[in-house]
Amino acid sequence: MRYLEFAAASNFSFLRGASHPEELMVQTASIGLAGLGLCDRNSVAGVVRAHLAKREQNLTLRYHPGARLVFADNTPDILVYPRNRAGWGRLTRLLTLGNLRAEKGKCTLHLDDLLSHAFGLELIAMGGHARFLARLREAAPHRVRLAASMLYRGHDRARLARTKTIARDAQVPLIAANDVLYHHPDRRPLADVLTCIREKTTIERAGRKLAVNAERYLKPPQEMLRLFRDAPEAIEETLVLSDALSFSLDELRYEYPDEEVQGFDNAQDALAHLTYEGAARRYPAGIPDKVRDNLEHELKLIAQLQYASYFLTVHDIVRFARSQGILCQGRGSAANSAVCFCLGVTEVDPDRADLLFERFISPERREPPDIDVDFEHERREEVIQYIYGKYGRDRAGIAATVISYRGRSAIREVGKVFGLSEDAIGALSSSIWGGGGGAVSKDAVTRTGLDPHSRRMRQILALAREINSFPRHLSQHVGGFVITRSRLDEVMPIGNAAMDDRTFVEWDKDDLDALGILKIDVLGLGMLSCLRKALDLLDGHYGERWTLASIPPEDPAVYNMLGRADSLGVFQVESRAQMTMLPRLKPKNFYDLVIEVAIVRPGPIQGDMVHPYLRRRRGQEQVTYPSKALEAVLAKTLGVPLFQEQAMKIAIVAAGFTPSEADRLRRAMATFKRVGTIGTFQRKMIDGMLANGYERDFAERCFQQIEGFGEYGFPESHAASFALLVYASAWLKCRYPDAFGAALLNAQPMGFYAPAQIVRDMREHGVEVRPPDINHSHWDSTLEPGPRAAECMHDLHREMRNDVRTVHAVRLGLREIKGLREEDVRLIMERRGGAYDSMRDVWLRTGLSPRVLERLADADAFGSLGLTRREALWAAKSLGRVGDRDDDLPLFATGGAPQARIVSQEPDVRLPPMPVGEEVINDYRFLHLSLRAHPSQFLRADLDARGIKQNETLRRAASGMRTRISGLITCRQRPGSANGVVFMTIEDESAVANVIVWPKVFERLRPIVLGARYVAVIGRVQEESGVIHVVAEQLEDLTYLLAQLAEHGAEINGLARCDEVRRPIEEQREARRTGSRRNRLVSLMREMPELAGDLGVSARGSAHAPTRRAIAAPPRRARH
Amino acid sequence: MLSLWLRRLSTDRIVRLRKHETSVPLVVTGKRGNVEVVTAADDAARQLGLTSGLALAQARAMHPGIDVVAEDVEADAALLDSIADWCLRYTPLVACDRPDGLLLDISGCAHLYGGERELIADLGGRLEKSGFAYSLAIAGTIGAAWAAAHYGEPASYACGEESSVLAPLPLSALRLPPATVASLARVGLKRIGGIIDLPRAPLTARFGPDVLRQLDRALGHDHEPLTPRLPVAPYVAEQRFPEPIGREEDVLAITVRLARRLQSALEHGGDGVRRIELSLFRTDGVVRRIAAGTSRPLRNPEEIRALFVERLAALADALDPGFGFDMARLSVLVAEPCPPEQIGIAGGEDTAELCRLIDRLSARLGPRRIRRLVAQDSHIPELAETAMPAQAVNGDTGWSTFRRYRNEVDLPPRPLRLLARPEPIEAVAEVPDGPPLRFRWRRALHEVVAAEGPERIEGVWWSEHGGPARDYFRVEDKSGLRFWLFRAGLYRDLAHGAGAPAWFLHGTFA
Repeated sequence: MRYLEFAAASNFSFLRGASHPEELMVQTASIGLAGLGLCDRNSVAGVVRAHLAKREQNLTLRYHPGARLVFADNTPDILVYPRNRAGWGRLTRLLTLGNLRAEKGKCTLHLDDLLSHAFGLELIAMGGHARFLARLREAAPHRVRLAASMLYRGHDRARLARTKTIARDAQVPLIAANDVLYHHPDRRPLADVLTCIREKTTIERAGRKLAVNAERYLKPPQEMLRLFRDAPEAIEETLVLSDALSFSLDELRYEYPDEEVQGFDNAQDALAHLTYEGAARRYPAGIPDKVRDNLEHELKLIAQLQYASYFLTVHDIVRFARSQGILCQGRGSAANSAVCFCLGVTEVDPDRADLLFERFISPERREPPDIDVDFEHERREEVIQYIYGKYGRDRAGIAATVISYRGRSAIREVGKVFGLSEDAIGALSSSIWGGGGGAVSKDAVTRTGLDPHSRRMRQILALAREINSFPRHLSQHVGGFVITRSRLDEVMPIGNAAMDDRTFVEWDKDDLDALGILKIDVLGLGMLSCLRKALDLLDGHYGERWTLASIPPEDPAVYNMLGRADSLGVFQVESRAQMTMLPRLKPKNFYDLVIEVAIVRPGPIQGDMVHPYLRRRRGQEQVTYPSKALEAVLAKTLGVPLFQEQAMKIAIVAAGFTPSEADRLRRAMATFKRVGTIGTFQRKMIDGMLANGYERDFAERCFQQIEGFGEYGFPESHAASFALLVYASAWLKCRYPDAFGAALLNAQPMGFYAPAQIVRDMREHGVEVRPPDINHSHWDSTLEPGPRAAECMHDLHREMRNDVRTVHAVRLGLREIKGLREEDVRLIMERRGGAYDSMRDVWLRTGLSPRVLERLADADAFGSLGLTRREALWAAKSLGRVGDRDDDLPLFATGGAPQARIVSQEPDVRLPPMPVGEEVINDYRFLHLSLRAHPSQFLRADLDARGIKQNETLRRAASGMRTRISGLITCRQRPGSANGVVFMTIEDESAVANVIVWPKVFERLRPIVLGARYVAVIGRVQEESGVIHVVAEQLEDLTYLLAQLAEHGAEINGLARCDEVRRPIEEQREARRTGSRRNRLVSLMREMPELAGDLGVSARGSAHAPTRRAIAAPPRRARH
Repeated sequence: MLSLWLRRLSTDRIVRLRKHETSVPLVVTGKRGNVEVVTAADDAARQLGLTSGLALAQARAMHPGIDVVAEDVEADAALLDSIADWCLRYTPLVACDRPDGLLLDISGCAHLYGGERELIADLGGRLEKSGFAYSLAIAGTIGAAWAAAHYGEPASYACGEESSVLAPLPLSALRLPPATVASLARVGLKRIGGIIDLPRAPLTARFGPDVLRQLDRALGHDHEPLTPRLPVAPYVAEQRFPEPIGREEDVLAITVRLARRLQSALEHGGDGVRRIELSLFRTDGVVRRIAAGTSRPLRNPEEIRALFVERLAALADALDPGFGFDMARLSVLVAEPCPPEQIGIAGGEDTAELCRLIDRLSARLGPRRIRRLVAQDSHIPELAETAMPAQAVNGDTGWSTFRRYRNEVDLPPRPLRLLARPEPIEAVAEVPDGPPLRFRWRRALHEVVAAEGPERIEGVWWSEHGGPARDYFRVEDKSGLRFWLFRAGLYRDLAHGAGAPAWFLHGTFA
């Protein structure tokens, strides 16, 4: 007996469906259904996933993507299935119509909408009377059916008879449907939990809101026939309908826009022309042979795969950005392409680096190329608007991101449903570290005071695990653009985003990838904004015009600076871990920076590549190569493979892989790491190497190494792109710390450090920093003529004395003042004229509210008027009294001279002067930094009495010595690669000190590590290659001392963005791309079915096989 | 003036309720905005740096072992009220200084205790014994006493000393809003002494009139009234007797008299009695309190009397007047709006009759014995209704909601009589989900001639006593009797190790 289920909803019917689309698809196959029609509530967001599951498992069943229309006007639900491509277009346009009418996440449809879009659609009414059905039939003749369900409601047979009569009267066929919400009855508890979340109630209180039974699962065909024994024709009808549907999602492939080809016959010719034109510009002295070969190879492959239009699209976007003076740079694997370099999309010179084009595009991979381009984060919007302008909103859209339940949100929601108290939930969810999809451990439950073995707790944990990775809602992707040749809304539905005037499509990047639809990542990068600002300052104040490309290369002063770990603010190498590595690696040239970027990564660290490399670099270990051929591959990294490309090259050179095979090896590594070992490739590689005369032992080690960083390995192309920005930012910091520091401040928030640390670093480099002032400051920090930095250099940086060219001071911008709005500051600047001469003058001329002026007074910004903080506040407080301004209106015209009159009206009030310590605390409170002094300076007597030394003394301390230091905590990091070690940075008036807290100490001193703002550390000094750490043995919370300085002293917070302990942040965003692992697994399985053997199961796994879990619940990580 | 500050009221309340002493630091938390924050902490927690205002998440991160209790503002307020009542022993003029203080006007009362110091000692000693942390001070003005209790040295200050007491104290001791205190601090004005001699006009111009008014009140330049706690009962009537009374008839007679007095007040306020209390004050100081509830607002004195007749009859011990009662007070504890009495036809009378019956039976037999069936929100038939004390059922019995649900999902009929617990039967039926062909119940064999079903109702999976799924059938036997039967357990669950399905009879239809 054959039967298809047409009324199946997945968990993309949010908080209703209780199975992943993949699970439904696999179950469909394993219980012998003839096929599946997937229809979610007013959405097609899940259909691609089911499509992929079918493709990847080579399932021969039928699959029909559709939607269940839920109307706003009491119309019964109607399932719609497109007959063909045109019908699909109608459906997506219909959904778009409903989406755009409603707020984000909603879809408002009326029956009339469907009636006018019904062409090419097959309809199944889930209920309704004969008259209603007749109306449908009129709009879609012969394409309407009436669904009947047997759901054990008590009088199913009577109902079926009634439905049958209605269908006969309306002359529409009856069709069987089980109105499925989950693939297996075991999902009932989860379905009930979802109902509770949706209805915002608890499982105890939900009552009849829960389903009465668990019958809405995928039932086998013989069971369906038994249930419908009174109407077997309804079962038959599912096949009739299926035969009428010919649409497949594969028809949506290759919807590339046709770019203008500027007089050329086709896109390929235009691309070739632009490429060689660019090459001539890149290599004025003639194109090197190596590059010419690369270009020919790449162009041939691009032609073969018909990707030329895509390259032209990216080229056009980059060209636009350049024309607007927006800095941009391609990142990622695109840097492996000589064509991209010549088009100006990427900056890594193929002549200098060994590129591996197959890392970027491989004919076997059958995935569209993926070019990510970074733009200045503040001007990315202009680029986005250009794309909308050029392609129109009907052809360009932003991809979706599926927001899913993750460890924390999963336990939170499930805990709520079970009525756990708010703080028990809080404690459980906070035991999950970071934003990943972790689960609550039994220990964590015990620590919360709950019993992990109780029935209830086991249910909660199991359900939280089950709901993990369930989609919650769709959101807008940060920069993934999808561009189509024809109307976008006929390819996929478009919906409203939370932001006004923003829309995004219903599919995420993986879905788009899988269907081969063009997408391009338009990303924002803070450092590019910073660099442009710094270059603009140099142009304006030093008369020097530099571009990223023209910055003098290989400046030894830059490398000297980085070698001393003097890298605060420098792109990528400013983290604690990088600062520790810099003095050990001592980069001497650009390529060393590429290595520096790549080496401090989990991959090389876990693959144990770092130490061998450093030993060889220092000459402590002989540099050897297993063969002449491999020497060519590994020479630049002293025989230690550090990059993904090298791993691939080893496979090519030593084991005889083709480049495409090597790329598959790489992807297999990354994908299979968690799922199983990759025996197929291991055999192939080791056999290949043995055949080429390598030792078995060496071959196995090679394979293990590749395995080690398969997942986390860093591609050289990507590292090289980043290294360019490392060099550019380091050069600016080295030569012009004033311009660089001001630009960093103006590009905030970005990077690791707060303004206080940036300012401190500038001052240590001899830059004079001046306070924000009503008469001198702009919104941004600016440069003013100042002393030569070389003469004011802190002893720490004396070696740089001859390298620094700074002759300007930095005037802090008013943006540093907490709670001030940019438009208010613009007003202050516009009305300033020559200068303001009193508080009243500022008030009368700007018309700003006294509250804003109080803000300025709190930040002590009236220094140029001769007002102290308290005097300024006293003056500001007197403003805004009724009648004041009217009296003073005439003064407005004369410039405010007769000030004295007002003063004389008031008796003189002598305010107590503010102690310096309190001034400093107030600086911190309202400015987050102080130029006057460091708070610890005022605590010194107290600290001395406790035997606490200045941080500066560490520089003279012997390694291993015990010491006692203190400071304001400015940074707490807990890098993923460091096994729970907390890195803490503290500062006192003399210097910054780095503290290491081992996990055991952390557990013991947790309250202090997490709660203290000012801390004393007792520990041992540890020195390596000039980097000094204090390994904490004991910590003492001295925050209360700050309170002695001023009332709110204990509230000041030195921490800003780099508080990873309480609020884990990402180390930039390059880790983002791990998201598409599901996809990679899918495409690998497609290309190499033999890999299925490595997973330990057959492709057609049973419903509970491990693969199903791996595919259905993709271990995606939330790094977005 | 005496100001009493119970500085750990919330945590003391919780600790007092506990049987065992624990040394675990205790914090009380509540939602402020969207954040769960610490609202009170005991001394141990305070020593760990856990103070009010700290986010609970942060507190937990710092000290995972702390004891966390949700705040209960009403319980705190009730506790303060009862302490206030207890303080009436010192003076009739007691005012609540919410959330955690009291103000006592002790002028002319202190001598009863032998002076102010002695009064302080007595009050303090008793509070300490009850487990309350406190701080108190006596001064000439409310403001000065309050400031000294909260910020200064607890002591008794003479009138006229206010200025020197206040000068060293922070400005918040003037009971100013925190925002005002903060903005004064920002210009360097932090102590009361700092503003006493300042020119008044500029100060008022910048910080509003409150600052100086509070200062003047504390210094005694301006009068501050004390608002004593009002009696809580909305309607009270009382009567003193020159000669003590003791007989039950007299008590009931006085009850009616008091109830008549209340009646006009209730009519005037448009209210009726839901809960009423009769207090009888014995000559030796003991107070007898007898309370009675009603199922609908009423104000008829005879009906009120009837309530007390039943109550007195139901009292386990006799009235025990001792040497007699010298005062009686009738207080309405709970009043509710009561529409003017509907005199007339049909329905209204019936409901009133029913209510009267319920009240009388409840007063006589105890409110828990008189029950009504109330519909519950559950799919499980035996959980879908429950018997509740009739007086507690306030009009809505839930059946209208049930009827709406039944129509919405087209629910099959439910039996007229549901057995208290399903009774096992022997049945022969078609596998897997067919109706029984015949069954034996209470030894009688029934041949099924018609059946409808199954209606499948799943068990409650989250409970240990949830039970298996049931397939319900409506069946009719040869003699026309109709039954509600179910099969417990599904054949498809056999594969998962479930027991074989069994048959039960759960109800009968008319």
